[in-house]
Amino acid sequence: MDTPNTLTIKDFHKRLLNKEFSAREAADACFKEIAARDGDIGAYLSIAEDSAREAADAVDNAVAKGDPLGALAGVPLGIKDAILVKGLPATAASKVLEHYVASYDATAIKKLKDERAVFLGKANMDEFAMGSSNENSAFKPVRNPHDLTRVPGGSSGGSAAAVAADMAVATLGSDTFGSIRIPAAFCGVVGLKPTYGAVSRAGLIAMTSSLDQIGPITKTVEDSAILFKAIAGADPQDATSANAPRAGVPQERAMKDFTIGLPEEYFVGGLAPLVERETEAAIARLTKLGARFKKVSLPHTKYAVPAYYLSMPAEVSSNLARFDGIRYGGDRPEDARNLMEVYLKTRAKFGAEAKRRIILGTFVLSSGYYDAYYEKAQRVRTLVKQDFDNAFEDVDVMLTPVSPTPAFTLGEKSADPLAMYLSDVFTGPANLAGVCAIALPTKPGTARAEGELPVGFQLIGKKWHEDDLFAIGSRYENDMA
Amino acid sequence: MSSSSIDKAALAHLAKLARIELDAAEEERLLADLGNILEHFKVLAELDTSDVLPMAGGTDLMNVLRNDDARENTDRGDGVEAFPKSQDGYLKVPSVFDR
Repeated sequence: MDTPNTLTIKDFHKRLLNKEFSAREAADACFKEIAARDGDIGAYLSIAEDSAREAADAVDNAVAKGDPLGALAGVPLGIKDAILVKGLPATAASKVLEHYVASYDATAIKKLKDERAVFLGKANMDEFAMGSSNENSAFKPVRNPHDLTRVPGGSSGGSAAAVAADMAVATLGSDTFGSIRIPAAFCGVVGLKPTYGAVSRAGLIAMTSSLDQIGPITKTVEDSAILFKAIAGADPQDATSANAPRAGVPQERAMKDFTIGLPEEYFVGGLAPLVERETEAAIARLTKLGARFKKVSLPHTKYAVPAYYLSMPAEVSSNLARFDGIRYGGDRPEDARNLMEVYLKTRAKFGAEAKRRIILGTFVLSSGYYDAYYEKAQRVRTLVKQDFDNAFEDVDVMLTPVSPTPAFTLGEKSADPLAMYLSDVFTGPANLAGVCAIALPTKPGTARAEGELPVGFQLIGKKWHEDDLFAIGSRYENDMA
Repeated sequence: MSSSSIDKAALAHLAKLARIELDAAEEERLLADLGNILEHFKVLAELDTSDVLPMAGGTDLMNVLRNDDARENTDRGDGVEAFPKSQDGYLKVPSVFDR
């Protein structure tokens, strides 16, 4: 029999209720896998065996009593270390928060606790979610389970690697400019960046507040929908959150009812041959399933990355100002002679990328440069969003590659921040526009040749139209199965 | 777009504002990286955005107000417990002035 850690959420639920295994055994199966494999992979920064077993035992009691249980009851989940789970460490992979323990639950976590999910531990990431390769973790890099010489993508690299290596049934990540979708694509799993505002960000350690979203990383599109629906909804603790205005509208659409846009600016060359071939194969398969394709244009695509890297650091410099050595626990330097030294000694512990972004953000916000950089970038963001508004007049969703390359090797881009920044070129515009997007594998692991790396493709949907992504994605996935 | 370079003096000033102490190697590295980044992203200047409004957030929501209900705000106990030093429920922080 498949061990519970290898199952999808959907199968897990069925078999748990059938008493084929207990929630306790399922959690233990994950911990066993973590003990066996995570020394090489590095997907977890901390594990929470005691609290996970306690939660699992409570689920097993409920199963024994025949209490009604939802689809996520007992499901072992990994949580990105930027998301707060009360009583567990939340370091955001930074030395600055090395000894911080969360004193409350993020809203998404509260909702999952109501569903009686089990939390295995906290997943490794790029420090404060800054990076596309997971090499910026202050503690250890994550390695791609499909090839340990390669990166898993970032910043939610631990979350994606944990799912790919069956060290969790599913995980939560966060996505500011591709941080869920890039690692999902590199690791051969499914990653959803929900519509901005769909999931509360209360209890997510903020990087770029105008873009950050929490979302699920799962083995299937169907699981993505289950986990997304459990964490979505308006929350008084996050004024940018809202309920989907389309909630309750039946979304049973046939494949032939979908027109899928291919933005020409995303197919201008520069794609790795494997990515190009796999993307074309995915388009051919969806065509065969009945979808219609149409060329569209997003003319400001090439300005999206510059606009992001000139406005995001401003938000970073502001959000990371709160790490002063006084708040968030632990490590106050004992040898500091005054408050200024407390600040300086604490903030010296930021990694190179965090320092780079804080300094750049301080620069773009400074008098004399604000208009030329920060405000200019925000105006360009409006143009990028208008591109999406216009394209979505003609099509229901858009299909693009996730990343120009499959997973690259550790060290390949880490010396050159600019090269790393450009790997977000296909994922970031959806964040700037605030729309939803999903990355899913072009084919399942069993259909890949020996040594062939996973490749993902991206479906970008209108605001609040996650159901369109799920409808197309799950039909694609079922056809591949 | 105006001058897109940050010189050594400007970097020192920015670092001071951001409360980040840089060593000589970090300074050199940052000067090179920031120069490259700003140079590359100069491309934005070619767009005429004089008639475009800046987009500061990701949402179209306006005037999000909570109900004006009295409520327990946070659990002070947990917050104090998470703090390294406390006394009688108060947080102990280092002195502002030189010891």
